[in-house]
Amino acid sequence: MVDKIATGCSGLDEVLYGGIPANTISVIMGAPGTGKTILAEQIAFANATTAATALYLTTMSEPLEKFIMHGQNYGFFDEAQVGVSVHYEDLGLMVREQGISQLAEIVTELLTTFRPRLLFIDSFKALTELMTLPSERRTVIFDLASALSTYECTTFLIGEYADAMMTELPEFAIADVVLQMVKIATNVREERFLRVEKLRASNSVPGLHAFSITAEGLQVYPRLLTPKVAPDYTARTVRVNTGIKGLDEMIAQGFSAGSTTLLAGPPGAGKTIMALQFIAEGALKGEPGVYLGFQENPTQLARVMRNLGLPVEKLLNDGLELMYQSPVEMQLDKVASELFLRIRSGKVKRVVIDALGDVQRASIDRRRFSNLIYALMQWFAVENVTCMFTYEMSDLFEVHGISDEEISNMSDNVLLLRFLPGPVLKRTLRIIKTRGSEHDGREHEIRITAQGLIVEDFEE
Amino acid sequence: MSPAETGKNPASNRRALILVVERNPIVQRLEKYFLEQGGFGVEFVADGVAALKRARELHPNILVTEILVPKMDGLSLCHALKSDPATSDIRVLVFSHLHAEDRARDAGADAFLVKPLDESRLIETVANLISMSSGSAGEKD
Repeated sequence: MVDKIATGCSGLDEVLYGGIPANTISVIMGAPGTGKTILAEQIAFANATTAATALYLTTMSEPLEKFIMHGQNYGFFDEAQVGVSVHYEDLGLMVREQGISQLAEIVTELLTTFRPRLLFIDSFKALTELMTLPSERRTVIFDLASALSTYECTTFLIGEYADAMMTELPEFAIADVVLQMVKIATNVREERFLRVEKLRASNSVPGLHAFSITAEGLQVYPRLLTPKVAPDYTARTVRVNTGIKGLDEMIAQGFSAGSTTLLAGPPGAGKTIMALQFIAEGALKGEPGVYLGFQENPTQLARVMRNLGLPVEKLLNDGLELMYQSPVEMQLDKVASELFLRIRSGKVKRVVIDALGDVQRASIDRRRFSNLIYALMQWFAVENVTCMFTYEMSDLFEVHGISDEEISNMSDNVLLLRFLPGPVLKRTLRIIKTRGSEHDGREHEIRITAQGLIVEDFEE
Repeated sequence: MSPAETGKNPASNRRALILVVERNPIVQRLEKYFLEQGGFGVEFVADGVAALKRARELHPNILVTEILVPKMDGLSLCHALKSDPATSDIRVLVFSHLHAEDRARDAGADAFLVKPLDESRLIETVANLISMSSGSAGEKD
């Protein structure tokens, strides 16, 4: 089994199935400002001990002082480790004095002086740009690789490399691991992603993994994959009461445990109220739930719940979590990852996502949105978590389609809310489908009362 | 009287001498300019080992050191100076990007300043250290 070093970066070790293989050479590549140095320093501080030190060599992208100044802004940077277990040296200055052709010799001397177990050269690309001839570049890098491969050390070469350079530059040939960090812009927003381009002697979770830079350093949100074992639908015999008077009678006393229900309707039709009642019913019955909302913050939601006569404080004590995320700054993978961790904890039995349209708008592409929702639904089923998605429709009276077609197809149950035009505005509910279960398909009237939303037969 | 005129210090007949440990030639140039403007004599070394040797030879009034210097870090240098009776009276100012005041004090530093360079604070701190040296020298007389 390959020895690995943990990166100290939340989520990244999961992507790398445990970390970076020890005694290898890694390239951390990406455009300026993608977070390469933060990741590298985070790895250094997470692993360095007095017995196994880290040597961080700065070159010519930024002065050493800047690394120190900026590094100290992050929680992982432990000033007491500097000079003790994490050593910084200015390789750029040494190369300027001795010449780039001496790179392998200079690094070898530093290795014998400091005897580190982790070596970082940042920026390696800036350093190698001093070599104008490709043949010189290849020879110097080969010599360096030879030196590094004979010394027990895990090395990281950091640089502002572009995609096309991977097939051209010799540093990618000597690298065992290539981590690529990218920024993707969508309108005025930017999201950061990390990809494992190359990983010799080990596996990784494929694809783009979102990450954010927090006060503690990099936080990676591994791309949500579907469960390895498909959900067993035959086991779905337990019914989950909705807590909505009149609705349970229409669906054989509740939805199947682990199912997903799409609640579609125009603004003001009662979607949020139904979802709140559903999640509150769970908390009252000892089934903790998460209400993930993007429009109303927890204070606003608590007010709505009080107006419905729901005991907010008791519910919050009994396991209801109001999870709020502003749609303006939402990073879809971050939210999905946080929700996923709650689902996998086994403590959550019900989930509401209000509303799906906010999630869709936060997604950088349509395919990613659908894949993510599909993966979440599969995990809900495997973990026996009953979920309700709300989806806002734009038409108040006419229905031209319920939602994103794929989402409707994926959902186990689909409920349609709408307004009925007339002198008195009426709200109605119709169950469109319930997978593997019978339901009352007639349109019913819904009324919002001081005791909550109730579903009734139509009074002709 | 300029801050550099020391009075009671054994080195009173010359300008107060400051030995600065700084590997970066650009930063050296800046520090030299400001300290000379303050009336001090300045000499530079680029690493900790050279600094220890030069401090023993020159016996400067003050040694100013960055922590992150080659061969021997600034804190080890400070500790070495303060542990040796021949150099323990040299005032040490640790002047670093690293927010390590506690470690600097533990190593025996007389003062600590965090970079970036603030000219007036640097001159004021150096002047205070000079007057501390003068005071100690006076007490010994």
